[in-house]
Amino acid sequence: MKDIEIHNVSKSYGKVKALSGISLEVDKGEIFGLIGPDGAGKTTLFRILTTLLLADEGTASVTGLDVKKDYAMIRRRIGYMPGRFSLYQDLSVEENLDFFATVFGTTVKENYDVIRDIYSQIEPFKERRAGALSGGMKQKLALSCALVHKPSVLFLDEPTTGVDAVSRRDFWNMLARIKASGVTVFVSTPYMDEASLCDRVALIMHGKIIDSGTPAQIVSKYPYTLLAVKGTPMYPLLKHLRGMDGVKGCFSFGAVHHVSIDSSKTGADEILAGISAAGFTGCEVRLISPGIEDCFMDLAGRGHKE
Amino acid sequence: MWKYLIEKEFKQFFRDPMLPRIVIVFPIVMMLVFPFAANMEVRNINLVVVDNDRTDLSAELVEKCTESGYFRLKEVCSDPRKAQEMMDKNTVDAILTIGQGFSRSIVTGDGFPVGIKVNTVNGTKGSIGSQYLSNCIMLFMQSHSDGGSSLQDASSGAVIDAAPKYYYNPYMDYKVFMVPALIVIAVTMVTGFFPALNIVGEKEAGTIEQMNVSPISKTSFIVCKMIPYWVITFFMLGMCLLIAWLVFGYVCKGSLWGVVLFTVLHIMVTAGLGLLISNYSENAQQAMFIMMFFVLIFMLMSGVFTPVSSMPEWAQAITYANPLRYYADAMRSIFLKGSSVADVWYDAAGLLAIGSAALTWAILSYRKTS
Repeated sequence: MKDIEIHNVSKSYGKVKALSGISLEVDKGEIFGLIGPDGAGKTTLFRILTTLLLADEGTASVTGLDVKKDYAMIRRRIGYMPGRFSLYQDLSVEENLDFFATVFGTTVKENYDVIRDIYSQIEPFKERRAGALSGGMKQKLALSCALVHKPSVLFLDEPTTGVDAVSRRDFWNMLARIKASGVTVFVSTPYMDEASLCDRVALIMHGKIIDSGTPAQIVSKYPYTLLAVKGTPMYPLLKHLRGMDGVKGCFSFGAVHHVSIDSSKTGADEILAGISAAGFTGCEVRLISPGIEDCFMDLAGRGHKE
Repeated sequence: MWKYLIEKEFKQFFRDPMLPRIVIVFPIVMMLVFPFAANMEVRNINLVVVDNDRTDLSAELVEKCTESGYFRLKEVCSDPRKAQEMMDKNTVDAILTIGQGFSRSIVTGDGFPVGIKVNTVNGTKGSIGSQYLSNCIMLFMQSHSDGGSSLQDASSGAVIDAAPKYYYNPYMDYKVFMVPALIVIAVTMVTGFFPALNIVGEKEAGTIEQMNVSPISKTSFIVCKMIPYWVITFFMLGMCLLIAWLVFGYVCKGSLWGVVLFTVLHIMVTAGLGLLISNYSENAQQAMFIMMFFVLIFMLMSGVFTPVSSMPEWAQAITYANPLRYYADAMRSIFLKGSSVADVWYDAAGLLAIGSAALTWAILSYRKTS
């Protein structure tokens, strides 16, 4: 059974098209990642699925219930954690949790086993006001509040934006445990490296799904050979690489450039020879396997040319 | 469920570093400072006298004017140009010119060669000042023509003595007049604007989003938000009435239930307005600006400070749409005159009309944005 079904959903804000013809399916009990840059339409899609916004066109259902017709029933079955920390800063940790439990017609005691894993980590600070918590603890509290009524689908809109690397890893570990308890997790993120932690992902850009599938499937579809190229100075090197024969695309990835090449026209050795001859120093060229981000850049670039 | 929502609002209210203090301090300041400060009585009018007569009688007139307490004598000079210059420089507010032959004409009863010039840059001060001044001169004239009349024959007829008698506020005490109006302002602020800011605050914090995905209906959420402020309003109303009684010795002449009823009606209006403001503003800044706009118009056009009847007709027409006009009028009538609710039914009708219009609009726009 599919927990989330989206058919041809479109939404415009005035003249700006936020979503156009989105179709997706999310299976029960999986972690599904919606991956795309800021402004791609992720939050809009979340707001439609959480019944906060109506789509202009198309239909969507969550746990088999229509987001338009059965919105009241959906609200009892989902947990939603918006991108910004949005709990009551002037209430204590415990009061926030109690409050959200009451609002959803349940008690913390009743569903304690659902949140125990996460809540036990912040329970020592339960007297503290939510506003005084650290970023990681705030996130744990928000997650506890979103889970306290035992939802069957959990919506997490950019939960790791602005969170440090350690807390991010912690967070994904928590998601894995939540998934293990049978909850479907629909999560959005602008971080491509988090894609591999999802069971399936959809890449979204300018309101359109540009690809979807398991991370392995997406990566396997990558059509080029990928090289990591190093050399100084960096920026002129990037421009030089883009002008070289057989180079399909070139993007800066931290300390190296990722260069996609048509292997029938050129190869690692030719590239290395070419840039050394052009006077770049410290040159290194390595064959690497592509990641989601490379796929995204390629797909996004192609979408741009079309 | 409702109990818990309301409990949460109270918790948040009392944890706010400012709000509880404002609720205590606001009525105290309003009731103890405003009646004295926001006073329409004009005192300390700077007066210069151009005395061309220089007799005992003219000196007596000057003394008469200054001893009233309303005027502060700056100078007595004989050059009108100098006096004019002082007024141009804004050092004096009024010039009293006593013409030559003043004392002679008093004796002969030929009328007074007296001139008054006032500086009306500050309109209220000017017009009230000139009134005071002419009153002083009238009194002076009366006292002296009385003395003179004994010389004349008694057949000149009865003198009509027109002495105004002020009802409901016998000493024309501005404070008595202001107290109910200040209660009106306090109630408006607390019931209309605090909840609006609170709702906008939840919008800003993003918590309203969390509430919207919950099974709680928006309406019960909003109502639970407003109830604490209504409780606080009645607390403030009680405080204002208590201060009025303890400090000024004023008690409500009419029934307190009338005061309560009109407050409830007014709350309906302000709740609608507050909700409207929160619907149309995304952040506290916007809400504040819209509020300032309404507060200024409401206050200045309500008759709280200046009587509605002295406004031009088009402005009077506008006041019919101002809930404060009705509430202030009703509160003054009940508080000062002891009117019953039936006496001021038109105020109740006005509030009810505006209130239902505001609430309907608020609910409609609220649904639309959902």
